[in-house]
Amino acid sequence: MESNGYKDTSVQKVITKKDLNKMAWRSLLLQASFNYERMQACGWLYGMLPGLKKIHKNKGDLSKSMKMHMEFFNTHPFLVTFIMGIVTAMEENKEDPDTIRGIKVATMGPLGGIGDALFWLTLLPICAGIGAAIALDGSIAGPLVFLIIFNIVHFGLRFALMHYGYNTGVSAIAKLKENTKYVSRAASILGLSVVGGLIASYIRLGTTATITAGQATVSIQADLLDKIMPNLLPLAYTLLMYKGLKKGWSPIALIGITVVIGLIGSFLGIM
Amino acid sequence: MFIQALLIAIWAGIAGVDMFNGLTHLHRPLVTGAVVGLILGDVQTGLIAGATLELVWMGMVPLAGAQPPNVVVGGIIGTSFAILAKQDPNVAVGIAVPFAVAAQAMITLLFTIMSPVMHKADKFADDSNTGGIEKINYLALVGLFAFYAIIAFLPIYAGADKAQAIVELLPPKFINGLKIAGGMMPAIGFAMLLKIMLKKEYVAFMILGFILVTYMNLPILAVALIGLSIALYDYYLGKDRGTQAPQAVQEEVMSDGI
Repeated sequence: MESNGYKDTSVQKVITKKDLNKMAWRSLLLQASFNYERMQACGWLYGMLPGLKKIHKNKGDLSKSMKMHMEFFNTHPFLVTFIMGIVTAMEENKEDPDTIRGIKVATMGPLGGIGDALFWLTLLPICAGIGAAIALDGSIAGPLVFLIIFNIVHFGLRFALMHYGYNTGVSAIAKLKENTKYVSRAASILGLSVVGGLIASYIRLGTTATITAGQATVSIQADLLDKIMPNLLPLAYTLLMYKGLKKGWSPIALIGITVVIGLIGSFLGIM
Repeated sequence: MFIQALLIAIWAGIAGVDMFNGLTHLHRPLVTGAVVGLILGDVQTGLIAGATLELVWMGMVPLAGAQPPNVVVGGIIGTSFAILAKQDPNVAVGIAVPFAVAAQAMITLLFTIMSPVMHKADKFADDSNTGGIEKINYLALVGLFAFYAIIAFLPIYAGADKAQAIVELLPPKFINGLKIAGGMMPAIGFAMLLKIMLKKEYVAFMILGFILVTYMNLPILAVALIGLSIALYDYYLGKDRGTQAPQAVQEEVMSDGI
């Protein structure tokens, strides 16, 4: 029954405040190795390493954990520390990797949305607006004021969320400890609801093709596909990629195919 | 000119790294414009051109993973040309746009090229080689720096006229095609998650999440909260039934073949 989990399940409190701060600094490189296959995964793992190294003394467990953290991951680059905190608490408690994955996937989407609203649509316009107004008067204070206000909020949140996430994780785990099987199941339910929502909101795929019949022009997207179901193409494309992966196609091949489809669609003028 | 172009290239490299890592936002045109002005000896024009670009490009942020025209390359090259050609700061906007769009298309290529590197990272993870993972990230940072530095250096060293002629050589359809592909890419990431997580008893919840967004236009947070309420219900229902594990979980363990 324990086969999915870690070999060494002895729980020890090894994570200190200093470790959490170190990981928060490392979270600045979340997108260093950004790519289309895993997005932030490798940068995420880079940030988690100090914690993971301390928690998993067993080499096999460390490898198992690292492999799980190399899986696809993408969230808001500021709020990521909240997830790092929770996940660190779960790792320290030697939770099942399947449960940890569920929590990662369930939190990355909503935090992405919150972060967009909070930083890109609120904090940045406010700070940049103030700074630009000063700069347009010809004062060098403009850029400086912008950088100072923006980063006080940015770094304040980044570090506070790391500790808050960890403490939240620790207290939540204490309550859920006895029922890991059910927690894992609940995390999967939550995670997959979010993935379903992400498919509908994050993939941009549509056609601009039209059919001309005499006087009438029919837009395939608006008059046909959207009538069947909006977001039909993003869903279909995801399922196609899923099929491909199950058949053993490599993600690299799928990325290559996607680039080719984009280019063909653009040159034919149908996308 | 060579020294100035070199200094701008280094600054573009730093700003390009900051755009994805560090995120202090010194890469915004408001800041890059002033620094470019400092390098080229005209802080006033740099400041105003940068601030103008900032206001025009306020909305150009990586919303929901979509990559907008590149504000680093656009801001730095737009401001540089406005100063070098002794133009009105507003001209910077017009010059900046084609460079910003072309640079973003190149970024799409960079993110594609970086994908195979992940298999090396998988190997390091398998060997629990933490140093290897760190090295990949540091090297990628160096690559990102070089990428931006070169993109900024060439047009400034070559001169505005030549640079613009070259950028216009890139067929718009090619750039547009890369943009379309970039919009489709998340499908691969989600498919990889599904491959790991999707079991037949969970399909219903993926459909639910999809419908909530597609037909009810709910934000992801709302979807997560609905998912959470179902998860909580399921959790307490399962727990109340006592020690007997749910069928699904047992199957899961069995299907791992251990």
